[in-house]
Amino acid sequence: MPKRDFSAKKIIGVSMMLFFFAFALLPIVWSLILAFRPTTHLFEPVWESPTAFTLDNFNTLVGSEFPVALFNSLITAGTSTLLALIIGIPAGFALAKGRSQRKFIASWALLLLRMAPPVGFVIPLFLIYLNIGLLDTWIGLIAAYMVLTLPLVVWSSWTSMAQIPDELIEAALIDGATLLQTLVKVVIPAARPGIIATAVLAFLIAWNDFFFALIITRSDTVTAPVAIMNFVSYASVNWGSIALASIALTLPTVPVIIFANKYIVQSMGGAVKG
Amino acid sequence: MNIITGVQPLIQKNYQKMLMPAVIAVSIFAILPLLGMFALSLTDYHLVKDWKGEFGLHNFIRMASDIKFMASISIMLMLSIFGVMLQVTLGTLIAVGLEKIIPKWRFMRGIFVIPFVVPAIAVALIWLSLFTPTLSPINAFFDIFGVTVPEFLTTQYGAIAAIVIADTWASYPFVMLLILAALQGISGDLDEAASIDGATKVQIFFKITLPLLAPALLMVALFRFIETLKHFPLIFVMTNGGPGRSTQATNYYAYVQTFQSSNVSYGAAIAVFLFAFAAIISFYIARANARISDA
Repeated sequence: MPKRDFSAKKIIGVSMMLFFFAFALLPIVWSLILAFRPTTHLFEPVWESPTAFTLDNFNTLVGSEFPVALFNSLITAGTSTLLALIIGIPAGFALAKGRSQRKFIASWALLLLRMAPPVGFVIPLFLIYLNIGLLDTWIGLIAAYMVLTLPLVVWSSWTSMAQIPDELIEAALIDGATLLQTLVKVVIPAARPGIIATAVLAFLIAWNDFFFALIITRSDTVTAPVAIMNFVSYASVNWGSIALASIALTLPTVPVIIFANKYIVQSMGGAVKG
Repeated sequence: MNIITGVQPLIQKNYQKMLMPAVIAVSIFAILPLLGMFALSLTDYHLVKDWKGEFGLHNFIRMASDIKFMASISIMLMLSIFGVMLQVTLGTLIAVGLEKIIPKWRFMRGIFVIPFVVPAIAVALIWLSLFTPTLSPINAFFDIFGVTVPEFLTTQYGAIAAIVIADTWASYPFVMLLILAALQGISGDLDEAASIDGATKVQIFFKITLPLLAPALLMVALFRFIETLKHFPLIFVMTNGGPGRSTQATNYYAYVQTFQSSNVSYGAAIAVFLFAFAAIISFYIARANARISDA
């Protein structure tokens, strides 16, 4: 824009954006305030005691089972993401570059699996786990998370590897590489942004899960999202600890998303490009 | 392609092999539980009561005459339709605003994305605190002017609105990101030509940008629609299905029937109903996608 524009329309537009910005930011700022506010000042307006500050909630959190729960979340979400990548990327490659008449069925099935109601998976899993002793185990939860991560990995590695030119693959094959070598040494590096986005999204979806963990964990393998609920009871709600725990749960994902959101858009966009 | 025609059959076979681990894994981890869901929905399995060995469509017949189930569908649709409308509108406005109104404020883009990565449980708890009148800074702020903010979570429509607002906060970035991507695919020439012809910015938005975004908007809306049908943490934390049963959407009702009332088979039947819903919509998306990639 060559000259500065102070027209009424511009001002309305900018104020609208600022209003949306406030809507986006307020809950985040609010949870930061809650996390460091002393209990005694909790129920009075922030501006009446803006300097009231405490680290009590930090101690409460460290002394609770929350750190262990964070570790459980990390192990289960991480393992299921890793397994889904190992199993899913070759399949995505085959769907992207192989010749098959069943691609439409595959794309429908993958979408359906991502959209199917979790309660439909959880009911049978719960009964099976109850009978074979997999309730409240890492293995049980990792297996359940495969339902979330695997279709996503196959789908989004498919869309990102479809953009790799065929010539690249043919050149490698002519040089005598096997198909698997071609995948590992040529295709995955070439599709790296998409693969990274896939891994990030798969991890997030498992890391953020509440429902599966609520049903199939009890105490030993409880994940962080479920452990937060321990700070909520009928007698009282420990708002400060809840806020701090929410921040702890969100923090690891923020830099990733800011760094990777371009790639994530590309890989999600594969499903919605119009 | 021509050079390696001779080895094509061999390579195709290797492609098939690469597909196998995923096919097996999906069968074990996903298809098997789904078959279990279908099988259970036809029985009268109950966690506590004895199994009488009934087998048939009785759960589905029961659904048809279950007032709570019928109510849950309209609650689900209300949450979905209002939620999707609000999210798509807000996400699109922010995306277009970022591109056209404040293109230089790039740092804002990153901040607008943040709600996207806040785990659903945290979203639910943060918004529960914002809707708790004694605690909320919003209530405190309006108190200064002597305005009492109505209590959302204790009335039927208030509670639905509260869930829709919280969901909108968490989900508009998804819409925003995808619309931003779609906007980048639209050439600026059209805008320029229109503005030379004397069209205002608002006219350009409604007559040019919006029609070009329509396919992307439809896809985003469908994706969000499916996601909103699966609402769980928001309802679980903010309202627990209440007040009364006024926010007990179908997915939540399936959970309540299965894990609170122990009617496992009935819960599975409700899940089958939701599954059928997802099957129809995913079929539509897959078909639309196939058309796009063929073109």
